[in-house]
Amino acid sequence: MKTLLSAAAVAALVTAPAMAGEIKVGSVAGVTGPIAELVAPIIGGRNLAAEHINAQGGLLGGDTLVMVLSDSQCDPKAGVDAGNKAVNVDQVVAIVGASCSGATNGMVQSVTIPAGVVNVSDSATAPSITDLADNDLVFRTAPSDAYQGAALAKLAHDAGFKKLAVTYSNDDYNAGIAKVFAESFAGMGGMITANQVHEPNKASYRSEIATLSGGDAEGLALFAYYGGSGITIIRNSLETGVFGKFMAADGMFDVSVIEQIGAENLQGNLMITQAASDPENNSYQLFAAEFTKTGMDPAAPYASHGYDATFLVALAIEKAGAADRSKIAAALREVANAPGEIIRPGEWEKAKKLIAAGTDINYEGASGPVDFDDKGDVAGFYSVNRVGSDGKYAMEYLR
Amino acid sequence: MMEFLNFYLVPGVVLGCIYALGAIGISLTFGILRFSNFAHGETMTLGVYFTLSLIHLTGLHPLAVMPISMALTAAAVLGMDRAFFKPFRNSPTIMLVIASFGLMLMIRSVIQFFWGVQLQALQTGIQRPWVLLESFRILPKHVLIIGATVVLMMAVHLLLTRTKIGKAMRATSDNPELAALTGIDTELVVKATWIMGASLAVAAGVFLALDTHVETMMGFKLLLPMFAAAILGGIGKPYGAVIGGLVIGIAEEISAYPWIGTEPLLPPGYKAGVAFAIMVAMLIWRPQGLLRGRQF
Amino acid sequence: MEQYYGLFIYGLSLLTMGGIYAVLTLGLNVQWGFTGLFNAGIAGFLAVGAYVQAILTTPISRDHLGAYNVPIPLAMLAAMVVSAAVAWAIAKICIRLRSDYLAIATIGIAEILRLVFKNEIWATNGPRGVSQIPKAFETLPQPWNTLAFLAMVLGIVAVIYLALEKARAAPWGRVMTAIRENETAASAAGKNIEAFRLESFVIGSALMGLAGALLAQYLKQIDPQVSDPLTATFLVWVMLIAGGSANNRGAILGAMLLWVVWSGSEIVSQRFLSLLSSDWLGILTITEAGEWSIRFAYLRVFIIGLILQIILQKRPQGVLPEKRPKPHPRLRGDATAASQGD
Repeated sequence: MKTLLSAAAVAALVTAPAMAGEIKVGSVAGVTGPIAELVAPIIGGRNLAAEHINAQGGLLGGDTLVMVLSDSQCDPKAGVDAGNKAVNVDQVVAIVGASCSGATNGMVQSVTIPAGVVNVSDSATAPSITDLADNDLVFRTAPSDAYQGAALAKLAHDAGFKKLAVTYSNDDYNAGIAKVFAESFAGMGGMITANQVHEPNKASYRSEIATLSGGDAEGLALFAYYGGSGITIIRNSLETGVFGKFMAADGMFDVSVIEQIGAENLQGNLMITQAASDPENNSYQLFAAEFTKTGMDPAAPYASHGYDATFLVALAIEKAGAADRSKIAAALREVANAPGEIIRPGEWEKAKKLIAAGTDINYEGASGPVDFDDKGDVAGFYSVNRVGSDGKYAMEYLR
Repeated sequence: MMEFLNFYLVPGVVLGCIYALGAIGISLTFGILRFSNFAHGETMTLGVYFTLSLIHLTGLHPLAVMPISMALTAAAVLGMDRAFFKPFRNSPTIMLVIASFGLMLMIRSVIQFFWGVQLQALQTGIQRPWVLLESFRILPKHVLIIGATVVLMMAVHLLLTRTKIGKAMRATSDNPELAALTGIDTELVVKATWIMGASLAVAAGVFLALDTHVETMMGFKLLLPMFAAAILGGIGKPYGAVIGGLVIGIAEEISAYPWIGTEPLLPPGYKAGVAFAIMVAMLIWRPQGLLRGRQF
Repeated sequence: MEQYYGLFIYGLSLLTMGGIYAVLTLGLNVQWGFTGLFNAGIAGFLAVGAYVQAILTTPISRDHLGAYNVPIPLAMLAAMVVSAAVAWAIAKICIRLRSDYLAIATIGIAEILRLVFKNEIWATNGPRGVSQIPKAFETLPQPWNTLAFLAMVLGIVAVIYLALEKARAAPWGRVMTAIRENETAASAAGKNIEAFRLESFVIGSALMGLAGALLAQYLKQIDPQVSDPLTATFLVWVMLIAGGSANNRGAILGAMLLWVVWSGSEIVSQRFLSLLSSDWLGILTITEAGEWSIRFAYLRVFIIGLILQIILQKRPQGVLPEKRPKPHPRLRGDATAASQGD
């Protein structure tokens, strides 16, 4: 009897229709799994956007935006399952996620595209997502790797580096950026003295560093997640005295790099590119000020992309005038791209009024201008971050 | 030559020390309780997080608070044994293995729930190496890790050879039926095994955290190399586990040395496979391990 | 209405994944349940099957080996054959190892296979994996494609089940049980133990390869994460033990049941949170619910672990314990005791 009752309770919980006055958006992320520590701030970014929207009048006629979290574990198996739950059980209007490129690829191909649901990815950077036959349903606020590798290569070249060693963590994200970086840097006349993959999550990388040290490289281009191997490699390099100068992409961009290595060791020695919007137009600062209040680091990789993806989905729902899956894709482009009046992070009330008045809007996000091209990708705009004299990252926008 | 020492051998020895400390616990549980404990890596992680919290509370050096976190972890492990392993004392091995697997998931999620998944550190900043003989470089923390490991090993040795409970543990590990017949209190031996395994795992975890950082998957990532070390040394043989740990740690690091030509002997992407390859080879050609351990 | 249609589609997906896991548990049941071989490298054979399927059928192959355009059924057969061949090679050197040792050897081999899939980028596209894998029946309109794929998976499960039931009652199956229960006696009865163990290992692994081929189609994307030991090895073990080792129905039931718990627990926990934050309870704000939902994702794993412990302690022989085919009346009393044996 007890089992029967609890089974009935569970069934009631599962089949309960959406509460009146709620509009659900799927928030799929690798909450548990290999990059759990990177994912938490990204979800924080998404939730902050939802909070802003709900605090400033909510969606449409005052409906609450609810982010339904689902765990993709950074694994296509779990990603497909998570997408299924979001699309079919929770009947979400659109999905933000699913963190890793592999999980995202699986989820969109086997769930969201067939079901006609828009997916906005905030951290999947694999070029293969661009090529999908997606009926214009797959969007990304995270730029494809191709851009960032080239941006960093140019930066290194302009900074006067002639010879660099490259090492990258053996995962979908870092392998891609490293490849583009090495090709671009060589294309500019630079020399790659060594280019070597490493397995993440090892306790020591001293032997790898020794192998990379041949050829008088002036610095190390390091493509890794800060938690997987990045911090360990910088620490091992400095402690062994082989490399003193580092350049990295946004998988390394986290305050814990400074906290763990010590600012004094990194001043003038580290540059990290990160997708960013022009500080003159203030979008990032608006986001950063709000996100800091939640106790999280606004500079955490892809946190701002998570915010933008969620905000854009909400704007698209507002623009479409209904929580209607089929109308989101078209509306998404309209609210994201020029022309239109500029909307920045946190300006939901303003956007709502403009949409109601029939004015075109153009969202300029915390992570960049987020203008979707016809593949649903955004161009990469980057900042370079160095460790300043105050022991914090100093950001410089790259034009 | 100095490059070999500085970049390959010393890091290998440090890694080996960490593996060795972890592998002793695995080897003893394997020998005395007769199952491979998948939760051992998580025990290690739990100990590190206890240490982290104690450092935040007291502001002392990690090694100073380590005994307290060892005691806490040992207590936790004894509780887990009571709840999840004791009911299966006379059941087939597979039940214990699956129970330990379930426990592994449970401990890890408790850690993630309470401490979060952010990267943390026991000590921040970097250390500059001491330079000896002009070009031999060694980091102070590596000296500390190697030294502390030696001390712990000696303590383990004295415990196993000089105390009554230690002798009982060795006897049980060698032949549980015979040990029980001679009147050894098996439950007491089991408790001692858990306490010793957990304490050494905490030490291994803290040393690893000193060399790298603290995160919730750190123990799990070490689990398979530790298994490999335990097997290599011979199941139920604590000294074997030490040798196994050192061999695996050193082998992993020196596999990337350019023995032939200038390229690494083994592509670094395959570095993690060295431990497994050694382990499989050992199982096939000398399943009793380096020191003749128990065979099932 | 849409709500119920959605639940129906989700139900289909549960059955499909449950079915794929059932193929895995049946494969493991041949090895462990019938013969007592402790294979802890399921993920490796699954990955071999998945990659064979992906490489043989995927039309675009800019980044990896492929563009062979092999028809799907043929590729599935190839996945089984390659998996069986890999298993044969492994068994040749490892099969005489007992119990835990075989487990640890197979874990090691599975991890080495995973490194191969990760590092041999020319063949597998490395960590980025293979995308756009063709799926059987995918050209049919929704929901017929989902239904047809599910029917194929369940059909395969049924065929395997019937074949294994037949084999279990046949002399072959009796020899396997004899080896599991008492190797010395089986050997004394003139049976070539190693040959039988090898056969069982290869058959089981071929089924795991088949499951990999199905999984690759279902997900349409595979990467080295497909051989993640947590969801591809340990979960399968849990399913078999919970369902009932040495009982083919138990293996299928365990796969379906555990997958429903694994997947469904998240819905329950999320619904619970949204109930707490709803206007009518109002215990949590939406933001707090957002923070708690991350913590619940960690806690969900704890609950799964706990459920597993409870099943182990309350029903150590699984939901459906072993049933010997046509037991001799005199042996009936011993059957349950014997199935607990190592």
